[in-house]
Amino acid sequence: MDIQNLRIQIERIDTLPTIPKVLRKLLKIIENPRASMTEISEFVSSDPVLTSRVLKVVNSPVYGFPGRISSVSQALILLGLNVVRGMLLGVSVFEVMEKAMNGLWRHSLGCAVAARVIAKKKGIKEPEEVSIAALLHDIGKVALSLKFPEDYKIIIDNTDKQSLFIFESEKNFFSVNHSDAGSWIAQRWNFPRNLIEAIEYHHKPHLSKTVPLNAAIVHFSDVLVRGLGFGFAGDHFVPPVNPASFQLIGLSDGDLKDVITELEDLLEDGDPLSPEE
Amino acid sequence: MSSPNWKICSKMEIPCPRKNNLNTVVVVTKDMLLCSLVERTLKDVYNLVFFSNIESSLDYIYNSLPHLLVLDVGKGEPSVISMLNQLKSDPIFGQMPALMICDDVYILPAWDDLLVEDFVRKSAIETDLMLRVNLCMARSERVVEVNPLTRLPGNIAITRQITGRLDKGEIFSLSYADLDYFKPFNDKYGFSRGDEVLKMMGRLVLNIVKNRQPVNSFAGHIGGDDFTFIMEPDLAAETALEIMDTFDRIIPTFYDPEDRVRGFIESVDREGNKRTFPIMGISIGSADNVERHFSHYGEFTELVSEMKKYAKDSSGSSFKQDKRR
Repeated sequence: MDIQNLRIQIERIDTLPTIPKVLRKLLKIIENPRASMTEISEFVSSDPVLTSRVLKVVNSPVYGFPGRISSVSQALILLGLNVVRGMLLGVSVFEVMEKAMNGLWRHSLGCAVAARVIAKKKGIKEPEEVSIAALLHDIGKVALSLKFPEDYKIIIDNTDKQSLFIFESEKNFFSVNHSDAGSWIAQRWNFPRNLIEAIEYHHKPHLSKTVPLNAAIVHFSDVLVRGLGFGFAGDHFVPPVNPASFQLIGLSDGDLKDVITELEDLLEDGDPLSPEE
Repeated sequence: MSSPNWKICSKMEIPCPRKNNLNTVVVVTKDMLLCSLVERTLKDVYNLVFFSNIESSLDYIYNSLPHLLVLDVGKGEPSVISMLNQLKSDPIFGQMPALMICDDVYILPAWDDLLVEDFVRKSAIETDLMLRVNLCMARSERVVEVNPLTRLPGNIAITRQITGRLDKGEIFSLSYADLDYFKPFNDKYGFSRGDEVLKMMGRLVLNIVKNRQPVNSFAGHIGGDDFTFIMEPDLAAETALEIMDTFDRIIPTFYDPEDRVRGFIESVDREGNKRTFPIMGISIGSADNVERHFSHYGEFTELVSEMKKYAKDSSGSSFKQDKRR
């Protein structure tokens, strides 16, 4: 399939499915009439698909400010509880590749946590913005597996057998990788420029023009979380850190140690995707 | 766009249905049989005024703006229809619903050429007329006049809210919010980006108000960058603070990245001089009638406006509440 055609297929996606575990918790939350905005917001921000759904709606032309909102908590306030509940009722789940998807969800969540920790360490004004970008950075993998489930199984297989990075094996198969697919979706859904770039350049953060620091943090979080062995991003390797980006973030050895310690604690304690109680 | 003129709003009030009085329906038909049938069907519920042709009804309509016009067009008499269309093309009379009665054989034209809200065929009058008339009335009461940009209730609805609550002797707090430095933002980035900010502001005010008080609260858009909300007195301050805080966090994304980083924009002031303006904020003023008594809503709104002006004097987003207890 040529790239143009592939892009059309990906852009036709209207909604992405989540994983069954998330859906079960989701139903509990929206059926509880007393669930607060904060609770719903925290829950939505722990799932890349729910987050992308909320951002898609709030950035649609219907509300009149497309491409402006990149924070879940802000999106929920602007949409209102009724709209949010109604929208979340329609969420569906993946029926295939459950194991791979569970791994990807943990990886995405881990990255979001890591990015938030780093953003806070660096005193960035809106850490949520970076954290959401990290949560969504692999949304292209979700899109590709949804649209081409059989092909994506082959890709995962090849990645394993040929000891490749997942983006290499995607590229061998589709001649593009998940960061392209993710950025197509993000553009199609009117996501703000900062999110589009962080998704598009998480493997090449030095190419980001508008938000080089955000892209660098997302990139580094991806590497860090793989290194800690949290979740599964589709391959078994830890890619190298882009040196220029690491320099841009500017973490000292001490900072880095703090970040890793805090991250490990957070991932152990507050993992919403851990086996259910 | 600066200070609100509530007094102007009061003059814009249009006659609204009064509960103790029957709503007025003007019926225009030459058909004596139809006349008596309509009279029998509706006379207990509505105040009916009959005319034999539309020309003679106009003087009455222009002077009293009835709640509904029921017009017999027979087989689609062109002169009657063009008269009706002319009447309905004026914005004041355009909002008066028109219910058309027509012969069964009349082939209906495109709705663009026939400005009616609904119709009944003659053969269905006995079964449907009452229902149709009621539906027309219910629909026009349901349609609140809204600001076209934010779809929030506009001036007339706001005035009605305030006077209605005062008439009932309700205790409530009234707040008034507007944006600081909206005009230079609009001048610099253009009105369509300005509209984006107003739409965002509308959603923000509405949802924060409804979250904090789901029942019997009210959010309205006076116009431009002026918004208003009504809540229980105890909830006003925390609501205003949340609105300000959320607005301050969202607003930077509406600026270009360079301006966001710099924290100000270059634009022209009201005198046409070039100068710099900070990122927008919100000023909110609020007052309630817990301790005070307002005989007229104008007194209430004047006090709220005064509080808002007072808030406007502080830099950045700020909130001022009338503290007389």
